[in-house]
Amino acid sequence: MRFDIRYTSRFDYASPISESQNALRACPTSDDRQTVSHYRVVTRPSARVHSYVDYWGTRVDTFGIRAPHESLEVVAECTVDTTPSRAVTVGPRPWDVYEERFRDEHLEFLAPSSHVTFSGEVSRVAAEKAEQAGDDLVGTVLSLHRLVGTSFEYAPGATYVGVDVDELFATRQGVCQDFAHVLIAMCRSIGVPARYVSGYYFAVQDDSSDEPDVDEVDVQTHAWVEAAIPEHGWLALDPTNRQQVGERHVKIGHGRDYDDVAPLKGTYIGGARHDLNAGVHMRRMVAAQEQQQQQ
Amino acid sequence: MDTGLFREYTTDGFFDEAFDAGGGVREHYRSLIERLDDIPPEDLERRERIRDAIFRTQGITFTVYGDGEGVERTFPMDLIPRVIPAEEWDVVEAGVIQRVTALNRFLDDLYVGERAALHDGIVPRWLVRTAADFRREAFGIPVPFEARCLVSGVDLIRDHEGTYRVLEDNLRNPSGISYVLENRVAMTRVLPVAFARHRVRPVDQYGQLLLNALRSVAPPAAGEQPLAVVLTPGVHNSAYFEHAFLARQMGIELVEGRDLVVDEHVVSMRTTRGLRRVDVIYRRIDDEFLDPVVFRPDSALGVPGLMSAARAGNVTVVNAVGNGVADDKAFYAYVPALIRYYLGEEPILPNVDTYLLWDDEQRQHVLDNLGSMVVKPVAESGGYGMLIGPAAEEDEIERFRELIENDPRGYIAQDVVQLSRHPTLVGDHLEGRHVDLRPFAIAGERIEVIPGGLTRVALRKGSLVVNSSQGGGSKDTWVLEHDPISVGDDDGEDA
Repeated sequence: MRFDIRYTSRFDYASPISESQNALRACPTSDDRQTVSHYRVVTRPSARVHSYVDYWGTRVDTFGIRAPHESLEVVAECTVDTTPSRAVTVGPRPWDVYEERFRDEHLEFLAPSSHVTFSGEVSRVAAEKAEQAGDDLVGTVLSLHRLVGTSFEYAPGATYVGVDVDELFATRQGVCQDFAHVLIAMCRSIGVPARYVSGYYFAVQDDSSDEPDVDEVDVQTHAWVEAAIPEHGWLALDPTNRQQVGERHVKIGHGRDYDDVAPLKGTYIGGARHDLNAGVHMRRMVAAQEQQQQQ
Repeated sequence: MDTGLFREYTTDGFFDEAFDAGGGVREHYRSLIERLDDIPPEDLERRERIRDAIFRTQGITFTVYGDGEGVERTFPMDLIPRVIPAEEWDVVEAGVIQRVTALNRFLDDLYVGERAALHDGIVPRWLVRTAADFRREAFGIPVPFEARCLVSGVDLIRDHEGTYRVLEDNLRNPSGISYVLENRVAMTRVLPVAFARHRVRPVDQYGQLLLNALRSVAPPAAGEQPLAVVLTPGVHNSAYFEHAFLARQMGIELVEGRDLVVDEHVVSMRTTRGLRRVDVIYRRIDDEFLDPVVFRPDSALGVPGLMSAARAGNVTVVNAVGNGVADDKAFYAYVPALIRYYLGEEPILPNVDTYLLWDDEQRQHVLDNLGSMVVKPVAESGGYGMLIGPAAEEDEIERFRELIENDPRGYIAQDVVQLSRHPTLVGDHLEGRHVDLRPFAIAGERIEVIPGGLTRVALRKGSLVVNSSQGGGSKDTWVLEHDPISVGDDDGEDA
């Protein structure tokens, strides 16, 4: 599936601010599931952008605006082709994750991190699910995924970034970042390496159909989870949407948790009050491609 | 020496820097001790007053962090200098250069290279990934000449046989060089005749050496005359005095984060005549506080956009970000292997044997013998959070047992090393006190070690902790020139 994506963040400040410095992570990654053919960043006021690929493999665009300004608009545009996720064809056992080399390779996605803590309740519930799933590791991970997807309520504004997993577990409310952090915590607590993915999701109102009936949507950046399965690789799961990651998911990058791949980080000098309008416009290009093929 | 300063002096079975096991004066101390013997005890007080006056006017203080408030006090210099003969220093110097070379190579390989030492299993990959100061944010930022540890202060001790051993590497922001320079200035006034009788290698070139090295690592984008600055967290930092001192020595600006601004990925200093481009930043701010865009967002000490400017090749940050990974006290155990791996040489200066506590066997051995061990947290420096088994109460030992069992990666253990002792003034006479040595190395196109370094002395009787933060003092350290020329008899009086 081909998408044209436009990421926009616009800040309107109550009074002029200056010396803003920013790091943007909005460029989709290129991997075995997706290919980026075009990407560009434009800021208003304009700024020179310096880009690099970080430790986790995510492209980062850095820019600063020194002169006083009353608003800042960041627009990142890209074109991406996606394919469906690879099906899991292996049946590893739960204890395979304790194999030394596997653990060593995925060490950073096994330990607690700033947004992914797992103490009593999270670990207990995960262990219980693992027990029920028996010798089926993939089944265990999928059941945790379903648990988060079905027992948490999507509630924008109910949380803030920084709320810890145990607290989320108590309130059972949150947004996609929270769903991801909870699932990651449960996976790690039973020894399954899991990482946080930031990306775009072509969402539609009617979630029952696989094929969205519109070609353009306005959404927000999204977050999901990748769990490492021995002999398979990363299994990508979207607990917020209760589905495995597919063609409608466009991955930006991954890290231990939100902090490693937050879409926009920055600082500035000036008053703290601002209005933020952030959004992602996605246009699906499948039809156009098909038409071309028919000609 | 029965009546003078040494009247009650005994070596008590320790390796003594000045006396051999039989009580005889070591050759390189002969001249000094003869001179000291000439000084009437009542004259010492006067000389101590001179010393105190010199240090007070220099404003030399050191803030000690403890359970309560930081307190400022003068960092005491003992009147009796340490003497290191030329041949001995040659070994120390070569050993320090070798060690810093290997560490720089490793760090460069880790942050911008192939990570060969990890792939080849010389250092476990997990050890690096679990180090608190492993800075993923610094990946891909090059440093000219691999000079990531541009300034290092490798702590050495001498064991009961007099063998120099490395205790820790201090690759982040080693402090203490200001005391080396100030101690020398004071010493030439406190014991002028004794000093003149020795051919002591100078240390006052440090500022120039450091400045040259800083300029040499300026990014290619800098012009012919790169501008370097010293970046300090501010007056409340325990080492602020040193930051100001070094800036003065080098004749460059001392700045705080708010004095710098990044525009178009270029760092500039705000001056009364507008902005001036900065090419090299000798920062004495910890990694985490350096740039709020990348590290702690609540840090007001740093410079927003600095890391991005470094990445864009417009500024060099010194010491490089992320060196702390090799300062991890568990990592330390692997440095000899890194020397063999990267340089194909045997380490000149051995380590102190170190127990790695994630290993079941080693941990059990340590837990069974905690009362005779030194236990250190891997990520601390300055002597904080340590257990010194022989000096510890039972409940403290039990507390460490629990700490180790809960976090074996977080601690290392070593057998207690009987540090060498050195004659030290106690009241009106001399007693042996334990000492260590922190030579300072500067890396640029090549690595140079300032002759001597900071000798720290544990002023409390029997104490093995020499850190200034733990009640230690210092000594001027005299490295003698090769082929000492006899200055002849000097009957002059010390002024």
